[in-house]
Amino acid sequence: MKPSEENTMINLAARRADRDTGRETGEDTLRLIAQLPAPEGIEDRVRAELRAAPRRARVLSWPAALRSDSPWMRSAAAAAIVFVVAGGGWGVYSRVQQPQLARVIVMPPRVAAPGSFSSAAAIRTPNTLNGPVVANPVTVKPVTETTPAQVVQKPVKRVQPGTAAAQPVAAAAK
Amino acid sequence: MSTSQAVFAGWMEIPNSAVNQDARSQTEQTAAEEATLVALVSQYAGTLYRVAFSVLRNPADAEDAVQEAFLRVLRHRDTLDEVRDRRVWLIRIVWNIVLDRKRRAKTRPETDDVTELARVLPHSGLSAEEIASAAQHHAHVLACVDQLPAKERQVLMLSAFEELSSVEIATVLDISESSVRSRLFRARNLMAGLLKHERQ
Repeated sequence: MKPSEENTMINLAARRADRDTGRETGEDTLRLIAQLPAPEGIEDRVRAELRAAPRRARVLSWPAALRSDSPWMRSAAAAAIVFVVAGGGWGVYSRVQQPQLARVIVMPPRVAAPGSFSSAAAIRTPNTLNGPVVANPVTVKPVTETTPAQVVQKPVKRVQPGTAAAQPVAAAAK
Repeated sequence: MSTSQAVFAGWMEIPNSAVNQDARSQTEQTAAEEATLVALVSQYAGTLYRVAFSVLRNPADAEDAVQEAFLRVLRHRDTLDEVRDRRVWLIRIVWNIVLDRKRRAKTRPETDDVTELARVLPHSGLSAEEIASAAQHHAHVLACVDQLPAKERQVLMLSAFEELSSVEIATVLDISESSVRSRLFRARNLMAGLLKHERQ
């Protein structure tokens, strides 16, 4: 069955179903519009428009070997891309140097000026090695020994002689 | 050094015979493409116009859309051989163009559809009163169609073309055939509801 016949059958079935159920879906209107004939001479006008359309600009006619769809050109283009990428990467790598980590600071040797005294192998020691000097040092007071007179005597609870709490004390005194 | 390398180096001339052969084959190819294009215009211009008119409902706009569709084909004529079903491919191009135009035309004032329909639709053997009444009915139906969701509306409009099968509608809309059927079912139900509601 051709597509048009199949669709006609579908539409006819839908139309029949609509008629049977008494409902309207408005498809007749759409079908009426879809069947409207095209205006006279539309093909000629379209053809004239296409003739007036700008053609593809081809200033140079390249030989077949240099066309972009030839395998030689494709491989050449691929090689050029690889070359550019690799060259660019190498260029960046060769220009960017890894920063050297300074572990030891080498002081330049002190050379005595001609005609002056030598330093006699004296080495200047930076002040920082002696540590910082505090302008107002905090003095810590020494901890003094506590004298027996300063011992605070705990108040003794007075206990009645007759109570149980007084018994052991009394026994110890004996 | 190979021939191609020599050509690149610039000291070896390309033989004239090769250039002439290239030019001749190119001319032949262009002529063949143009003949194909002319054949497409003769064969499908009418179909494309009706598809465009069903959406735009304006003869001048529909013709513009058809011309734009063929201009697009002209720009991509190199790929014509790769197209399997040219009719559906062309309908799809014009469908996208008219949808785009319809979207852009939303800001413009709507044309008087009733007058346009009364002028365009066939009315042989009808009185002036009947023509006006029919045009009013069709305009009312079209207004209801415009109220449908876009997906359902598109399927319903394309289903009105009896030369398009559900598979082809699916290809034009880039959906599955089962989606076409379900959307068509929904569209018909919605339309029935809208028309019933309007009548009451």
